Formats: sequence, structure tokens, C-alpha cells
Amino acid sequence: MQGPFGLFDILILIIIRGLPTTLALTFLSLAIGFLIGTVLALMRVFGHFIVRYIAIGYEKIFRGIPLLVLIFIFGAALLGWFAWTGSLANAIFVASMLSLALRSAAYQSEIFRGAILSVDPGQIMAARSIGMTTTQATRSIILPQAFRLSLPGWANEYAVVIKDTSLASAIGVSDLIYQAQAFTWDYPALFLAIILVVAIIYFVFTYPVTKYLGESMTLKLRQLGLGGGR
Amino acid sequence: MLRESQDSQKGGIERKMSEGSGRTMMSILLVVGLVIGFSVGYMIPVLTMPRYHEPTPPPDDYNTILLRGTIRVGTNSGWPPFEMLNTTTNELYGFDIDLAELVADYIGVTVEWVDMDFDALIGACQAGSIDMIASATFITAERCEVLQPLCWYIRTNEVIVVKTSSLLVIDNLTDLVGYDVGVQTGTVEDEELSAIPGINVVRFPLVETMFQQLDTGVLDAVYVDEPIVGLYSTVYSIKIIFTVTAPPTAFYIRYGSDKLSAAINSAIAEGFADGTVDALIAEWFG
Repeated sequence: MQGPFGLFDILILIIIRGLPTTLALTFLSLAIGFLIGTVLALMRVFGHFIVRYIAIGYEKIFRGIPLLVLIFIFGAALLGWFAWTGSLANAIFVASMLSLALRSAAYQSEIFRGAILSVDPGQIMAARSIGMTTTQATRSIILPQAFRLSLPGWANEYAVVIKDTSLASAIGVSDLIYQAQAFTWDYPALFLAIILVVAIIYFVFTYPVTKYLGESMTLKLRQLGLGGGR
Repeated sequence: MLRESQDSQKGGIERKMSEGSGRTMMSILLVVGLVIGFSVGYMIPVLTMPRYHEPTPPPDDYNTILLRGTIRVGTNSGWPPFEMLNTTTNELYGFDIDLAELVADYIGVTVEWVDMDFDALIGACQAGSIDMIASATFITAERCEVLQPLCWYIRTNEVIVVKTSSLLVIDNLTDLVGYDVGVQTGTVEDEELSAIPGINVVRFPLVETMFQQLDTGVLDAVYVDEPIVGLYSTVYSIKIIFTVTAPPTAFYIRYGSDKLSAAINSAIAEGFADGTVDALIAEWFG
């Protein structure tokens, strides 16, 4: 296929080249943020007070730094840390993924902490009374319920992260925004149309998740008598 | 009995409150401790460095690049005809791109491109994330303080652009006092106009949005490099009313790599001598 392209071709090319990167960034950073966030939440709820303060400090710091600044710190200033990834393109991808993950972990830990605390403390007492240790009770009784309760909040976090991946284009990650900007250079007359098309792509990937996980899960949890709100 | 229980309740509440403020104190102390810890950790190499030793010179970037087999070059695409992203092949192309490939061929390595925001390029080069900047960068005193410019290769013009219907006429940049003028953030145009008090300088990270604002009438004029005006004159009805000769354009590297700067300078000089660079200029600037 050779240029000049029509708007539909541009849309397809932006999706083919940009969407895999955007989705990979989103899901990898959500997954890493999930692991760190769970650990932080457990540290805050069950930890010794020093451990608790470390977790609180982490959250305060990473919730207080703008994502673009984090991306510039890891992607422009500390890129040498990611030399093990082999090529420069990989290093930039990992750097922006790490900044997204670290920031997301701070928010996810708040979500999980709320969910863990909303599980009835009587359940852990009951588990202790039949001879389980606190660790066993947490792993097989508290956490499964807490993750289910945290799904609506977590859907919200997904919606935030997928849109924040657009900031990674500032250090040259070839995501949707980066590709769209390149096309606006070749087709200045279509600037607004291309930007609107990108907006629609982001919306299509955000709405179903927030709709199903956010609203439907809240309804389902309420029918089961779980979760807050009416 | 009642009073006692009330007292004990009150005591409990007070204890909880003092516990709460203790927690706040602890978290503040933690943050302060982290800040102090990081700054002490940062200072330790300076403090423990023996004074009488000559610091060993850091390895020349030239050797690092040869060992790695690639030179990392930073650019900011979207600046025709210097650097653009080809939307058909999804690859960078342009005058700077060709020239940097020429330099890399001379050294005997391949180029690894990184395409980031223009403001971030200088910081990234200082920090060592990239080895060279090839992004139509003018030579200015401020940039020379932190990075080493190499042999300059082209001189372009900076122009004041207005709408075709505009009646604005100027003989000097200072005539723009009182007008809204758009520039790209961090460029030489930005510095020049910011130095003149009274001009309302509006900074844009994207040139595209700047021309849109000019077209809708939000901006009275736009101050940009001449080569990129050609692209927009096909879309918007604009005209050039004033031209300034720009500072020379050059690649930048970190200071302290004499072998690398010598290699790149001789690559460019040889390119000029055998006419390759002139052919490139003719190809991209017509």
C-alpha cells in the first residue's frame, strides 16, 4: 500500500502500528502494578508499623509525582538502567512501562487495602479459631474475597492507565499517539479528524471494561450483599 | 462508676488521637529521612573521594560506541525536511537522518534512533541515554555550556509568518511588542522572543497546533524555521513577512569525548569535501 492514504487507511495503519504497543504497555504495567500493589496493601494492613510507614511513604511519593516527570526520569535520565534489554527501543519501552507500573502500584494498593479492610474481621477470627495461621487465613479467605470486591475500583484504574500510556510518546514509544502525530505531519489538513479517531479508539477500549467490571460487577456484588454503596 | 467509665473512654480517645498524630509524625519523619538518606547517599562519593588523586578520565564515548556497534542518536520527528516519520514505511527519514547515517558509516557502526520530545533531548544526552543529538539543533551559547557542538552543516532562516489577510508589517523583531506570537517550546525562536519584553509569547509543544491557532486568529504571528513553512503553506493561507538568518545548525555530543568529536567532525568535513553533503542538501532543500 502506498500513500497518499484516505482517512480510513490512516485509521487502520494507526491501529496496526500503535495499538499493540499501547495495549502491551497497559497490561504489563497493570500486572506489575498489581503485584507491587498487593504487597503494599498487605504491608499496610498486616505489617509491623515500620513496614506500614514504608508502604505509606511509597504511596505518598508516587501519588505525588506527575507521570510525565516519572517517564522523563526513567526514560531520559536513567535509561542506562535498562541496558540489559538489548536495544534502545526495548529500553525505552521498559522505562515507560516501569514508570506506569510504579505509579499504578501506589493507586492499586489503596484499592486493595480498602477491599481487604471491607472483608468482615470476624472471618479471620473464625479462621484462627479453627486452627489456621494468619497467613493461611489471609491467603485463602481474605484475599480471594478482597480481589473480587476490588474489581470495580480496579476497572477504574485500568481506564486511567490505558489513557496515561499516551504520555509515553514523549520519549518515543511508538504508541497510538506517536503514530497519530506522525500522520498529522503528512496530512496537516486531517489533523482534527486523526485526533478524533484516536479518541474513539481509546474510548472503545475503555468503555466495555468500565461497563462490565465497573457497573455490572458492582450490581452483582450488591446482590450478593457485598461491597459498599447503594 | 459512670464517671470512671467516661474518663476511661476519654482517655482511650485521647490515646487514639495521640497515636494518630504519632503516625502522621512518623510518615513525615519517614519522608524527611528518605530525602536526607538519598542526599547523603548522593554526596558520599564526593565526600570520600581522595583529594590528592587526579580523577581517572571517564572512558571516551568513541570506544563505547565501537564496542557496542551502534551509536544512539536522539531526534524529534515532525520537523520537515530535517526529520520526519515516513507514514508508509513507519521509519524516520529526512536530511538529519541521512547525515547521521553518513557519520555512522564513517565510524563503522549502525544508528539506533530514539525519537523523543525536543525539550528532553539535551537532558537525555547529558545523562548519557543518547550519544548524539541530530535534530536541526542551532548552536547557542546556552546549549554550548552543557553540550559540545560539532562542525556545523547548514544555515537556515527563521521567519515571521502571518495569515495572508493580515496587514501586519514589521522591520524588526521588536515591532512585535503587543502582539501574540507563537513559538515551539525550547527552540531558539522561543529564547529570542522571550528576551524582548512586551511580546506575548505563546509556547506550543507541537508546531501543528500553532498553525491551527494562527488560522483561527488566536495568534497574530508565528515565529518558526523557514523550511517547515513550505508544508503548511499548502494547507493554510499564510505568508512570510520577515526573515532572520538563523544560527548555524550542528550535531551535539557530551563534552569529554575528543575522539568521538574528531571522528564526527572529519566525517562531516569529508562529506563536504567529496560533495556528498552538498548532494544531500540539494536533495532535501531543492
